[in-house]
Amino acid sequence: MVVVALSVVAGRDVRAQTESPEVLRAIELENAGKYREAIPIYREAMRTHPTPIVVLGLERSYHELGMSDSLLAPLDSVLAKFPREPMYHVVHLRTYQILRRYDALRGAFERWVRDDPRSAAPYSEYARVLIQLGRPASADSVIARAKTALGSTRDLQYETAQLRAAMGEWEPSANAWRLALANDAQLASAATYALAPAPAGVRPAIRRIFLMAPPERGARRALADLEIAWGQPQAAWEALRGLPPDAETATVWEDFGDRAMLEERFGLARDALGAAVRVKRTAALALKAATASLRAGSPADVFTLVPVGEWQSDPARAANSYVPLHVEALAALGRGAEAEALVAKYDKYLPPGQHARMARLLASAWVRSGDLARARQALRTAGADADSSDAAGLIALYEGRLDAARALLRGSRDQSADMALVLGIVSRVRGDSAPQLGAAFLALARGDSAAAAQRFVEAAERHPEAASAILLAAARVHAARNDAKRAIPVWQRIVERYASAPEAAEAELEWARALRRGGDTAGAISHLEHLILNAPESALLPQARRELDLVRGSVPP
Amino acid sequence: MIDRLARRRRMLARLALVVATLTGGPALANAQRMLVPMDDGQTNHLKAYGLTYNAIKAGLQAEWLLNYRGGAFLLPDAPELRRRAGLDGISVEAVSDAQLGAIRREMAGGNMESVPLEKAPKIAVYSPPDAQPWDDAVTLALKYAGIEFTAVYDTEVERGDLTKYDWLHLHHEDFTGQFNKFHLGYRDAPWFRELVAKNQATAKKLGFVTVPALKKDVAEHIRQFVERGGFLFAMCGATETLELAIAANGVDIAGEFADGTPMDPNSDAKMQWRRSFAFKDAHLEHSPFVNSMSDIDGHQVNVAGRRQPLGTFTLFNFSAKFDPVPSMLVQDHRSVLSDFYGVTTSFTKSTLKNGVVILATEEGAPWTKYVHGDYGKGTWTYLGGHDPEDPQHAIGNPPTDLSLHRSSPGYRLILNNVLFPAAKKKPLKT
Repeated sequence: MVVVALSVVAGRDVRAQTESPEVLRAIELENAGKYREAIPIYREAMRTHPTPIVVLGLERSYHELGMSDSLLAPLDSVLAKFPREPMYHVVHLRTYQILRRYDALRGAFERWVRDDPRSAAPYSEYARVLIQLGRPASADSVIARAKTALGSTRDLQYETAQLRAAMGEWEPSANAWRLALANDAQLASAATYALAPAPAGVRPAIRRIFLMAPPERGARRALADLEIAWGQPQAAWEALRGLPPDAETATVWEDFGDRAMLEERFGLARDALGAAVRVKRTAALALKAATASLRAGSPADVFTLVPVGEWQSDPARAANSYVPLHVEALAALGRGAEAEALVAKYDKYLPPGQHARMARLLASAWVRSGDLARARQALRTAGADADSSDAAGLIALYEGRLDAARALLRGSRDQSADMALVLGIVSRVRGDSAPQLGAAFLALARGDSAAAAQRFVEAAERHPEAASAILLAAARVHAARNDAKRAIPVWQRIVERYASAPEAAEAELEWARALRRGGDTAGAISHLEHLILNAPESALLPQARRELDLVRGSVPP
Repeated sequence: MIDRLARRRRMLARLALVVATLTGGPALANAQRMLVPMDDGQTNHLKAYGLTYNAIKAGLQAEWLLNYRGGAFLLPDAPELRRRAGLDGISVEAVSDAQLGAIRREMAGGNMESVPLEKAPKIAVYSPPDAQPWDDAVTLALKYAGIEFTAVYDTEVERGDLTKYDWLHLHHEDFTGQFNKFHLGYRDAPWFRELVAKNQATAKKLGFVTVPALKKDVAEHIRQFVERGGFLFAMCGATETLELAIAANGVDIAGEFADGTPMDPNSDAKMQWRRSFAFKDAHLEHSPFVNSMSDIDGHQVNVAGRRQPLGTFTLFNFSAKFDPVPSMLVQDHRSVLSDFYGVTTSFTKSTLKNGVVILATEEGAPWTKYVHGDYGKGTWTYLGGHDPEDPQHAIGNPPTDLSLHRSSPGYRLILNNVLFPAAKKKPLKT
C-alpha cells in the first residue's frame, strides 16, 4: 500500500500537467474522494489513450473501493498494447499481490518475462514481492533464473542483497549490498536496516567487505550506521574517516559529527567535525568543531579552530559566540589572566546574563590554577548573583569552609553527578571546617585525579562520620582512570569497615564488576552473593542479580 | 525396682523424642516449611523451579501443591534454600504448622492436590557438542533456573548412554536426516554447509552410510529409552521428525538431496504408526521443494500459502486429584498463552492417536499445541514451537535473555516437564 501511495504522489506532481483535461478532472475527483466518479473517466482514458498516470489512477481508485480485481481486465488490454511498459507490469504484479492470488501473480511474472525477455525488471520486481511475502527461497529461485536468462545478476544486486539478508546469508548479502551501494549510495539506509540483525560472529566479515578498497561513500555510510546499531560508535567513525577528503565527504563527516554531538559523544564529534572543517571551512562549521573539541576535553584546539584573528573585527558577534568559547577554553586550561583580559576587552559587548557566566568561568580558571583568592575575587566583581552561586559554594568547599559551602550549595539546582557527589558528602560531614576534604575536591577540580583520590582517602580518616562516602569518591576517581588495582583496596575498605553504610552496596557491586572484568569469576560471585544477601533492600539489587546471572553464565552474554 | 524405673524413664524419653521428631520440635514449630508461591506473588517463577529441583537433588523433601497458588512448592525452611531464594530473587513465605494445616484443608476442598517430589531426575539434552545453551529454549531455561544437565548427541546415544538418564529433551533436530529442509533457503550459508559436513562425518564415523540412516537409528534408541521407562520432552521440529523417523521403519522418507536416493513414493502407505508415540496416518510431504515434513504441523510456518497465523492457546484444567500427571504439566499462573512459531508449531488433531492427552489447544483450530502420553513404561510430552518468548523466531535472531522474562508462562510449561519426573508415583485413579 505504501508503494502505491508513493508512486501516486510522485506521479501527480510531476506528470499530471501533460494529461488530458478529462484525466485531470478524474484526478481532482479522486483527490476529493469521489472514486466512483473518477473510475469511468480513467477507464475511458485507458481505452483510448492509456498512460502510466491513468493506470495508476485507476489502480488507486479501485483499491480505495476494495475492487482491485476490477482493474485486471482493462489492465490486460493495456498490456496487450504495450507489452514492454514496465509500469503496467508492476501494477499487474501488485494487483495480484493485493488480491493474494499467488498463482496468478506468478503467471503475471511469466508474462512479463515473455514480453520483455532481456529485461532484469521482471525478475527484480517479482523477487521483491516474494521477499515481502516472506518467501525467500522462491525469490532465490527467481534470482537464479535471472542469472541464467540474462547472463548476470548485475542489475539485481539490490534484490540479491535483500534476499540474502532475509535468508541469514550475511556475507553474500554484504557483498551484494556493496555492489548495489556502488550504483546508488542512497540505499545506505536500506542496507543498514537489512544487515543490522546480523549476529556478532559474522560482523567482522561484513566490516571487511564494506571496508574493501576503494573506499566508497555508500558502503562506508552504511557501515557507519551499522556500527552505531551494533553499539560501536568509534568503529563507525573509523569507517567514515577513510573516505577521500572532498566536499561531499566533508558533508558526510559533518552530519556524523552533528549526530555525535546530539548523542553527547563529544570525542567522536570533535574528530568528525575537525576533519570536516579541514576540508570545507565555514565559520559555522569551525564554531561547531571548536565547541565539540571543548566538550571533548581538548580546549587548546579552540584557539586553532576559531583563532582570534578571524572574529575580533566584529566585536558584537564575537561576544555572542567566540568570546564565551575562548574564555571557557582558557578556564579549562587554568589560564585565568588571559581569560580575564579577554572578558575585560569584550565586556561592553557581552549580552545580559553572560556577565555572571563569565565570572563563573573566570573563577573556575583561577580554581584550575590553584588561586582561590582570585577565584573568589572574580565572583565578587560580578555582583551578588555570581557571589552567591554554586561556583561560590564550590570555592568555599575548596577552601575548607564547610559552613559557607553548605549555605551556598543548599539551593543548588545543578543535578549533575559531580554536584550530587559534593552535596552527598558535604551534608554528612560534621563541623564547619574541612580543609582536607576541600583540598581533595580542589585537586579534582584542577584535574589532578591521582592527588584527588589520595586526598579523599586522607580526608576519610579525618571525617569518620562520612568516611564511606568520601572513600567511595576516591574509588570512583580511581575507577574513572581505569585503575582497578588502586580502586579495589578502597572498595574493600568500604565493604569491610563500613558494612552498614549505604555506600557499601555500591562499593561491593563495583568491586565484583572489577573482579569479573579481571577474570576472577569466583571472587565476583562471592561478592555479588554477599551483597545480595546482606543488602536485600538496596536499590542496586536488580543490578547485582543481573551481574550474578552474567557471571554464572545463566543468561546470554 | 530401680531397674524398672530406669527402663520406664528411658521409654518415656524415647517417646518424647518420637513426639518431638514428629512435631518438629519447639524451635521449628513456627516456621518449619517454606512456601514458594507460583501465582502473581512470585517474582521469579523460572528460578523457583531451580530452587525446588536443587532441593530435591540435595535430598530434601518437597511437595508440589497442584493448583494451589499457581502450582506452589512446599520446601523445608532450610537456611541454604533461603539463601538461594534470596540470591535469585525468588519469593518465599515461611509456613507454620497451623498455616500448613489450613493450606491442606483448603486444598482438600478444591481441585488441588499435593504431590511429593522425591528424586531429582537425571537430565540429558540431545544437542550438538558445539551448540550454545542459547540455541534451544530448554537449555536456556535450565541454565537460567540453575538446573544441571548433560548434553548428549549422536555418538553418546549410539553408545547407549541414554540409560544413564531419567529425562531426555529434544529440540529442533530433524530425525529424518533432512536438516529441516533448510537446503531450500540456506544451501550456501556457511553455517548450513558446516552443519551438513559435521553430521555426515559423524554418520561415517558411526558406520552409517547416510545422515538419514544415522538419525533414524538415533530415533530408535530414543523410542527404546521411553519404552524402558524414560521421560521424553520434545519441542519444535524434533516432535514431528522423531515420530516420522520412528514410524518409517524400513521406509525411505528422506529426499534425494539428503541420502542420494529419492523418497519412497509409497511411503505414506508403508509407515508403521503403531511404533510411534503420538501420531498416526500423517501424510508425508514428498516435494523436496516444499519446506514441510508432513501434515502433522498445523501451522506450516515455512510454506508460503499454507502458513497459518499465530493465535493463543489455552491450558486444559485437569482434575488434580484424579489426573495429577497432566495437572503437573499445565501448572501455570496464566491459562491462556500467546502462541509461538517453530519448525513444527502445532499438532493437527486428525493425526493424533487415540489416548493422547491434549494439554493445550487453540479454540476452534484444527490443531493442538501441547500433548502428552504414555509409551511402554515411560512417557512423552510434546510442545510445539521454538521459543515461547520469541514468537517469530528466525535464524540469526539474538538469544532470548530470560532475566527479562522471569515469569514467562510459556517457559513454565518447559520447567513443569523437568520437575514432573520427580513426582512420587501414585497408582492412577482413572
